[in-house]
Amino acid sequence: MFDGLRAKLQKIQGGLSQSIESASEKEAIPPTSSGGTEKNPTILGKVKVLLTDREFLVDEKDIREPLFELEMVLLENDVALPVTDEIISHIRKDLTGSRRKIGESVDSIVTSALRGALLDVLGEGFDLVSYLSSHEKPVKILFTGVNGTGKTTTVAKVGSFLKKNGFSVVIGAGDTFRAGALEQIDVHAQRLGIKIIQHQAGGDPSAVLYDTVQYAEAHHIDAVLADTAGRFHNRVNLMNQLDKIRRVMKPDLIVYVDEAVAGNDAVVRAHEFEKAVGADAVVLTKADMDPKGGAAISIAHTIGKPLMFLGIGQGYDDLVPFSPDQVVGDLLAEEAR
Amino acid sequence: MIDRLGTSLKDALKKLAGKTVVDRAAVEELVKDLQRALLQADVNVKLVMQISQAIKTRSLEEEPPKGMSVREHVLRIVYQELVRLVGSSGEVRLEPQRILMAGLQGSGKTTTTAKLARYFQRKGMKTAVICADTFRPGAYDQLSTLCGKINIACYGDPNQTDARIIVRDGLKTLGSVEVVIIDTQGRHALEDDLIQEIVDLNLLTRATHRWLVIDAALGQQARDQARRFHEAISIDGVIITKMDGTAKGGGALSAVSETQSGIVFIGSGETIEDLERFEPDSFISRLLGMGDLKALVERAQETVTDGEIDVNAMMRGKFTLRDMYKQLEALNKMGPLKQIMSMIPLGNVDLPGDVYDVTSAKMSRYRYIMDSMTGTELDDPSVLSSSRIQRIASGSGSSPEEVRELIKYYKNMKRALKGVRGAGGKFNMQRMMKRFGGM
Repeated sequence: MFDGLRAKLQKIQGGLSQSIESASEKEAIPPTSSGGTEKNPTILGKVKVLLTDREFLVDEKDIREPLFELEMVLLENDVALPVTDEIISHIRKDLTGSRRKIGESVDSIVTSALRGALLDVLGEGFDLVSYLSSHEKPVKILFTGVNGTGKTTTVAKVGSFLKKNGFSVVIGAGDTFRAGALEQIDVHAQRLGIKIIQHQAGGDPSAVLYDTVQYAEAHHIDAVLADTAGRFHNRVNLMNQLDKIRRVMKPDLIVYVDEAVAGNDAVVRAHEFEKAVGADAVVLTKADMDPKGGAAISIAHTIGKPLMFLGIGQGYDDLVPFSPDQVVGDLLAEEAR
Repeated sequence: MIDRLGTSLKDALKKLAGKTVVDRAAVEELVKDLQRALLQADVNVKLVMQISQAIKTRSLEEEPPKGMSVREHVLRIVYQELVRLVGSSGEVRLEPQRILMAGLQGSGKTTTTAKLARYFQRKGMKTAVICADTFRPGAYDQLSTLCGKINIACYGDPNQTDARIIVRDGLKTLGSVEVVIIDTQGRHALEDDLIQEIVDLNLLTRATHRWLVIDAALGQQARDQARRFHEAISIDGVIITKMDGTAKGGGALSAVSETQSGIVFIGSGETIEDLERFEPDSFISRLLGMGDLKALVERAQETVTDGEIDVNAMMRGKFTLRDMYKQLEALNKMGPLKQIMSMIPLGNVDLPGDVYDVTSAKMSRYRYIMDSMTGTELDDPSVLSSSRIQRIASGSGSSPEEVRELIKYYKNMKRALKGVRGAGGKFNMQRMMKRFGGM
């Protein structure tokens, strides 16, 4: 999913090394077209020229323009505005006022500033398997999120993931509202051979999930996966219902599910869910649609909670654990080695 | 955040007030604020750059028409450019037609299909739907349940794995139905076999319309996705869903510009009736998080004080429960209180946030409570003794605590308005109106 962003950031580095070679020439920056992908070499070229050629002391004024262009690149990649601001100011803080020797590699200066900023917003990953192993069973996991982000599919995928890792699983069909939701999760559970607890459509989700927990306790099941109906964060009664679910089933983990293609609103709703019922980890779905992955950065940053999984397709195995170090490493890795 | 952007936009516009020539710096500031507002609303970066360039050039180069102030001139350009960005409403004809729904997973195609069926049904068209989603479990159950509730025929076969066969049989079976809506499986641009499937479905159905369903929260990705769909089946309309959340729907605009089509409908809720025809003006206000821009453009001199809310009385501190009731009534029409206040020329005075912090559910409860009050009580809330409160509570089916809460809310509101009055210093409504010219 991070391919797009990676390509751009790598271009930055490509441009960088090029310009390092020709450091003595001030005209190292080719006049590029206005196309988005063409921008980056220029930015970095500019940064580099500023850093090595002219300045000992990096001045905020000097990097303002390249930073503005970097800002546009981030925005184009769906990194939300407040988060972009933060990344930019992080980099600015890192770079301005710092004294650099002429000979010092610009590459490492810029890369480390960028890496610092990205790692800062991405936070740490979340290892579900070790969490399950180290906690008292059953571990109750509640899935929340707005409509259509892929909660039910994610529940099925996580179920399959846990089963593969040797845990026993039961699913609670807490989406009693949407037409067809019960049938959907039922089919998933059957295909995966996972026990499912459900009531009738229109029933109280808290009751369903309570029963699921009871079942898990009675049968010594390792993990309870609680699906819920999608709801918008500005619907008070639905959020209250979610709060009730939380009180009744007392989940160990609340997992917030959102889609990687979401734009700026991702930040707003992640924040509201976090405020209303809390969230311990995040699953980002539909990451295969978005080669850029900016939303991941935004959401992880806003919610301040680790990303647990990325959903990358429609199959049950299309779920990969998220590791920030690796992603940032990937993003900033030098071109195909 | 959004509201802050709306405010800064207003500030920027305000700077143009009273100027005789267009001030380049002020225009640039305005454009910058506009850019941020639009980016925040997920409008595509390139579109944002285009519109800001256009506004800048036109504001500085075009001569303001005689009798129009600089501010109005710029405002009009901003508005015209925004209208162009948003595009006009796509056409919906009430005639026999086939509609093919396309979109990403989880964007709300199935729900929207049912809503559309309801829309055409209410317009008196004989309508049926076909469920061509062969992938997602429960898709057929979902659609047939939704359609069952409104008595719409729904064709589908959960055991058939080829969408093409379902659609072919469906069209045969449904025969003489006037409007056929075909719900398809969610797919995205990178899934070639699924794109091929929808191409086939398009050929097979000879669809009159191919509408792309877009989640209001969809970000910059909207452009690429829309382009791919457009290349495959040439989209001729866009439906934005989930507008009842806080997403602004700016992503859908990229789809509109990419497909050269218009937005046809907006989905704004979970029940089957929650589908509206697209209206550019309210969409723009939402995008920018500010009051009705068109109203601002059209009205230049007249004041906002029509019968709905007596601003002057409110400003004099004569704010009764009746006024509050009117506000709550207007709420459904005009949007949240904050928005109403943003349309009233209070300039840039910040009302305390907690005044607005009343949820929609609570608002309607407040209205029930006020319905149980007498005229005297509405006009002069100070007469509310505990026995009256008791009576109102039982009359409205609420608790005395809730009635007290309402009174407290009313008092806060009143105090806030007084604060505004205080902040204005030597307050003169007329002067203020003139000064802010309706901002």
